[in-house]
Amino acid sequence: MLSTRDLVAGYDERTVLDGLDLELPADAFTVIVGPNACGKSTLLRTMARLLTPRRGTVLLDGTAIRDLPTREVARRLGVLPQSPLVPEGVTVADLVGRGRQPYQRWWRQWSEQDSAAVDRAMAMADVVGLADRPVDTLSGGQRQRVWIAMTLAQDTDALLLDEPTTFLDLAHQVEVLDLLHRLRVERGRTVVAVLHDLNQAARYADHLIAMRAGAVVAAGPPREILTAELVRDVFGLHCVVVPCPVTGAPLVVPGLTSPSLAPPAAPAARTPADDAVTPLVGSHPSKGI
Amino acid sequence: MTAPSHPTASGPTGVGPTDSGPSGVSPTASGPTASAASGAGRAAPDVAESVPVTGGPARPAPIGVAALPGRSLLRLGPVSVQIRRRSVLVAVALVVLLLVAGVLSLSLGTPYVAPADVLRALSGAGTPYDLVVFDLRLPRLVLAAVAGAAFGVAGTLIQSVARNPLASPDVIGVTQGAGLAATVALTSGVAAVLVAPAALAGGLAAAVLLLALGARHGLAAQRFVLAGVAVAFALRALTEVVMLTADPIDGLRAQIWLIGTLAGKGQNETEWIARTLLVLLPLLIWAGWALNSTALDDDTARGIGLRPVARRIGLAGTGVLVAAMVTAQVGAVDFVALVAPQVARRLVRAERPPLICAALVGALLLVLADLAGRRLFAPTQLPAGVLTAAIGGPYLMFLLLRGRRRPS
Repeated sequence: MLSTRDLVAGYDERTVLDGLDLELPADAFTVIVGPNACGKSTLLRTMARLLTPRRGTVLLDGTAIRDLPTREVARRLGVLPQSPLVPEGVTVADLVGRGRQPYQRWWRQWSEQDSAAVDRAMAMADVVGLADRPVDTLSGGQRQRVWIAMTLAQDTDALLLDEPTTFLDLAHQVEVLDLLHRLRVERGRTVVAVLHDLNQAARYADHLIAMRAGAVVAAGPPREILTAELVRDVFGLHCVVVPCPVTGAPLVVPGLTSPSLAPPAAPAARTPADDAVTPLVGSHPSKGI
Repeated sequence: MTAPSHPTASGPTGVGPTDSGPSGVSPTASGPTASAASGAGRAAPDVAESVPVTGGPARPAPIGVAALPGRSLLRLGPVSVQIRRRSVLVAVALVVLLLVAGVLSLSLGTPYVAPADVLRALSGAGTPYDLVVFDLRLPRLVLAAVAGAAFGVAGTLIQSVARNPLASPDVIGVTQGAGLAATVALTSGVAAVLVAPAALAGGLAAAVLLLALGARHGLAAQRFVLAGVAVAFALRALTEVVMLTADPIDGLRAQIWLIGTLAGKGQNETEWIARTLLVLLPLLIWAGWALNSTALDDDTARGIGLRPVARRIGLAGTGVLVAAMVTAQVGAVDFVALVAPQVARRLVRAERPPLICAALVGALLLVLADLAGRRLFAPTQLPAGVLTAAIGGPYLMFLLLRGRRRPS
């Protein structure tokens, strides 16, 4: 599906990615995690041809993406940028309709396929009831569903999303992730998302990519790669990884960082990895690495 | 370059009825589409309320829209164009107003010609007023309408690129470039016929400077406006130097040119503006469609397969060409380019200024301003440029005040 070869990318003077080789599995939900400024958004933007790499290539189904007309890429690859600008006064149906742009020309502005795709996308993202509302009057969760509907209207096999859950409350985060999960499972779409929450990544991802300082530290199914060591290497945070009581996926619980946060009169060994926690008391490891 | 699946293959398969089970929803729209669309558009909200969509798998699309809400689809063979129904209504209303203003403009003045006589003269019946109507007033009226429309078009294009309602040719320096060149021409005693070409060259030079300054950052909205304001101030300062060091009478002529007047102008100027618009017509038709995406940020626009920088350069380039030409012909008429797009946008209730309605508002505004300039303090004639702001300003204020209360 999507892969990169020796990718070098960055902004102005700063090189963020330096020679990255990456293979994203098709028909999977891939989640990219990593600390702030580790290059995960840069990677996503470069793969989505929003950012031109300085060197190296992004391959879409084996073809260099820069050799493909951007309209054709837009029919195969949908992108949701991190915080898209909401146009003032545009209605939901109108904005979702913009997703049909790659199929339109100024002399062929609308077709039955466009109508059907917009209806389908709005139903999938559950925004049909909002069709006539201006997007700038919606709540954050509703807006995000509208943006996702716009990319769905593009009818692409793959979807790239840059932090689609940021600024949403927990219920709306779950809602968005469930939608992406359904796209993968029910529609067989390839979904790639940058997420901040490791536990959500562990629950939803088929394939997890952990990045640090512009390089991939580990990649694979979360149940295989998400360990306390990985979290320490990637985020510089000491933690305990336990099975999630609901799904059994790895659940990352940060270690004790201050003695005053210790449970009051708690039995000494409540957590299974208590020994990993003790040495941390009184220090702040995330600053060190 | 081996491309395993090629564009043509992915297009149809992507849009086809792949994953919407009963995709026979849309064919309702195959016949006389415009009327079908209007019906569906009205029904849409009700359907949406009543169907509890949970985003389940392959749910049949509940809305059989043939176009987006509030729009109709016009079809002619392979050509299909989406039109906002509200902008059609607004455009029709504006045309009617423009005709009324036109008849008034032909009628008022010395001598007064009764509107009935104006209409009779226009119908070719041969009246004693033919000379006044056809030779004295009509050319100037047509010029006002065409120049106003051109200002409206230029303002729409520039404001959309700048994403800023305050941007217009007279804010970003095109007008000042034309003004400087015209001032130099008027005060250096070159032939009068060279004033307009000089102004055109000046306006275009300012536009090239502006695009060069803005292009380094992909003509990003903020930078485009800032560069324009800088160019405008520098050129205005130069103009003042030229004017103050010139012969006072030449200085006064330049002053009047800078305000912008239609007095003593007519068919010749109209022809130049009309020719420009005609040559640019393909670009303008493209612009009407391309403007739809200017409200999106660059990443989102690229994501749906657009090239936002190329698009901005095309739109801004077209806008400054029109602005430079019309300014060269009628002078630096203030405010029409700024206010017409905003008034039109509020009338149509769209997220960006609509091209045709903005042109009509510009035409109406300049016709009224010229009429008021001729009649308000008659026999003293005020340049139209003085009155465009006096008429357009309060009306925009009214729309702004009303807009705040509008429930969403």
